[in-house]
Amino acid sequence: MAQHQVNYAASGGLPVALTTVDKIVNWGRSNSLWALTYGLACCAIEMMASGASRYDFDRFGVIFRASPRQADVMIVAGTLTKKHAEFIRRLYDQMAEPKWVISMGSCANTGGMFNTYATVQGVDRVIPVDLYLPGCAPRPETLQYAVMLLQKKIRKQSIFQKQKPKRLV
Amino acid sequence: MMRPYRPKDNVQKKAYYTDRFWIAPRIPEEDVSQDKVYAADIEKIKAKFDIKKAYIQRGQLVVIIDPVINKELLFFLRDELGYDMLMELSAIDYLAQDGEFEVFYQLLSLSKRKRLRVKCRIKEDEAIESVNPVFRSADWSEREMYDMFGIKVNNHPYFKRILMPDDWVGYPLRKTYPLHGDEAAQWYEIDKIFGKEYREIVGPEIRDAAWIDKTDTEQFARYGHEVPKGAPYDSEPVKIDSFNEDAPLVETFDLKKSKIVDRDR
Amino acid sequence: MQQRNRLEPFFENLVFDRDDNTMVVNFGPQHPSAHGQLRLILELDGEQVVKAVPDIGYLHRGMEKMAENMIYNEFLPTTDRMDYIAATSNNYAFAFAVERLLGIENEVPRRAKVIRTILLELNRIISHLFWLATHALDVGAMSVFLYCFREREYAMDLMEDYCGARLTHSAVRIGGVPLDLPKGWLEKLSVFLNNLPSQIELYEGLLDKNRIWRMRLENVGVIPPEMAKSWGCSGIMLRGSGIEWDIRKEEPYELYDELDFDIPVSDRCDSYGRYKLYMEEMRQSIKIIRQLIPMYKETGPELMAKVPQYISASKEDIMTQNYSLMQHFVLVTQGMRPPVGEVYVPTESPKGELGFFIRSEGEPYPYRLKIRAPSFWHTGILQDLLPGHYLADVVTIIGSTNIVFGEIDR
Repeated sequence: MAQHQVNYAASGGLPVALTTVDKIVNWGRSNSLWALTYGLACCAIEMMASGASRYDFDRFGVIFRASPRQADVMIVAGTLTKKHAEFIRRLYDQMAEPKWVISMGSCANTGGMFNTYATVQGVDRVIPVDLYLPGCAPRPETLQYAVMLLQKKIRKQSIFQKQKPKRLV
Repeated sequence: MMRPYRPKDNVQKKAYYTDRFWIAPRIPEEDVSQDKVYAADIEKIKAKFDIKKAYIQRGQLVVIIDPVINKELLFFLRDELGYDMLMELSAIDYLAQDGEFEVFYQLLSLSKRKRLRVKCRIKEDEAIESVNPVFRSADWSEREMYDMFGIKVNNHPYFKRILMPDDWVGYPLRKTYPLHGDEAAQWYEIDKIFGKEYREIVGPEIRDAAWIDKTDTEQFARYGHEVPKGAPYDSEPVKIDSFNEDAPLVETFDLKKSKIVDRDR
Repeated sequence: MQQRNRLEPFFENLVFDRDDNTMVVNFGPQHPSAHGQLRLILELDGEQVVKAVPDIGYLHRGMEKMAENMIYNEFLPTTDRMDYIAATSNNYAFAFAVERLLGIENEVPRRAKVIRTILLELNRIISHLFWLATHALDVGAMSVFLYCFREREYAMDLMEDYCGARLTHSAVRIGGVPLDLPKGWLEKLSVFLNNLPSQIELYEGLLDKNRIWRMRLENVGVIPPEMAKSWGCSGIMLRGSGIEWDIRKEEPYELYDELDFDIPVSDRCDSYGRYKLYMEEMRQSIKIIRQLIPMYKETGPELMAKVPQYISASKEDIMTQNYSLMQHFVLVTQGMRPPVGEVYVPTESPKGELGFFIRSEGEPYPYRLKIRAPSFWHTGILQDLLPGHYLADVVTIIGSTNIVFGEIDR
């Protein structure tokens, strides 16, 4: 037995809402952004903190997944080194379309303070990036704001158009 | 303009100014007899091994030896004198001055609560004997030393780069290696992932933190030639009305033009 | 949009197809329970590990090379990013090493010493809470993760109140500390300390008698004392093997010789013993900070050592006295020039013995700076420790070594 009986005649008739396909799909996509845990360095700790008690990322529908096949957004948290670069590209290729990338922290954006031989000077040399977060390390609030911005971006997209190939560099 | 001279054998950053008459002070090298424990130890070592020099610096005994006896000496120190832990092992690059590396072993005695440093010097093309049979911790330290300086180690069980990738070119901590890497290092990830022909598409790394792309009108504006956001680089600049170059810097005060707020004063 | 690239699987001469029963498993470098970027190549016979080859260097950022091209004060914020869970202990280890190189370690004012010791112990608590959270998460206790992070956030709030940063503190300077404690900070600290013991009891209540926790930790990852010594283990990895060695007691620095605290030691040699040590160390840290709070009130207002040759004068002096301003200008533009020589200075960080070896040639830039990071050898020991264990225990053992990749790869 249903707990709540719906009165079809009252309150606006049938339980039907009209919307466009774009809106309903983007609503679903933007509110269940499953993130690939790409913790590389210090920012990974802040990424964990945003998933933990106080900042509670589950509210935004962001659930961290360990497998690229289940993830929609890759949060690159930390320094990308030259030795690791091929792995980030491989995991990015394994993610299913549509996919987005958040580059978290100065090191992922530009190499940051590590202007050395071993550091990739910006993760956008290897994979296309949608959103850059400044800070070393960015606070969990910053990451939350980034996710909200990404949701805004997703809601503007049209699902019938093929995703534009994102520019590298 | 003349290109400034930069030594090739040592590319480490140098102080931009040093007083001509400035002589750096030295940390005193104290006599070993000052500390009873160290004095007893050095007597026992001297009885068995030929050491070059021994002194105490900032409370720790430093023993300088010939590199061929490193393994025997460490065995002796571990078994007879109770220096039972190898805390650190690495090298210093003196190739520019002396053509040598200095290898140091930092030991700790848990029972005596004392630390001891064994140092030896080897030539660039020489190899040193592995101390892995004495201390297992030397396994990784020696690999790191090889990775960073290119010092070969004999009889090591698994001799391979540890921190850098296997196909890395050069030894990063040598003084000849630049901080930003050589050419192979700067293109490493592009060559590996996309191939060499992608170098032009991706472009070189931006190492200068103050770098601004002149032609990028999305993120940067050129001073004095401001174009609308996203407009082509060579389009006409926006006219800014408020900026009039002919206007005098200081206008003369005219009571009629001015609005007087407080007349009483 | 898939971009063309040349990535084909390349496994460094690994042959995954074997004729016998063994199987090769690649673990990492991006694995949720690898605590960063550890890559392990495991050879399995059934479920048992036959051979383990740890592969590190995926977070090598060239810190030692950076140090050679920076003046001493410039390098201090970089040390934050080594052991990023307890950043102040790195800052302190570096600052202390430079102070000993300069020979000014006795010039540091007492108030600075008190603040430093409080911050060190607070960072130890933060680090241990984080260790428990991630270790429990790896083993399968999700609720402990959430509880620990709640407590850790309160401790991070205290750090933020003091230095403005949550994670990368840079709260210690060479020769002292930059700031006095803010108003009301000690009271907040007392509230936190009063609350913490009951929380530790909560964690122990959740874990100590938990059957799964005990089965997964007891007799897993047994490190005999000889092995611990031979591998250069330090900190809890050494004390968990029954060797009583804590640098805070044996070679005391800061105010540790005036404080009353115990060093817990465990003879069990396994992961469970190490877990008990972490819990006990948190209690000892609380005890230490409680003793330091009254000490703070007895100190004078000085925060930085007065050594004009090496360390800038206070802001007030710089603004009022010409000579201080000149000194400050030289120290900022050229950097301090320590005497020629070398030092190795160990400190007890939450992970173990964190030492800095500095070779100075009298220049403002260190000639060689070697960071002795404890986790480097705690990772190396995995190749001797893992064979014989089951695949499921690998995660437990990695967790109980408490490794952080910022300081392994540097």
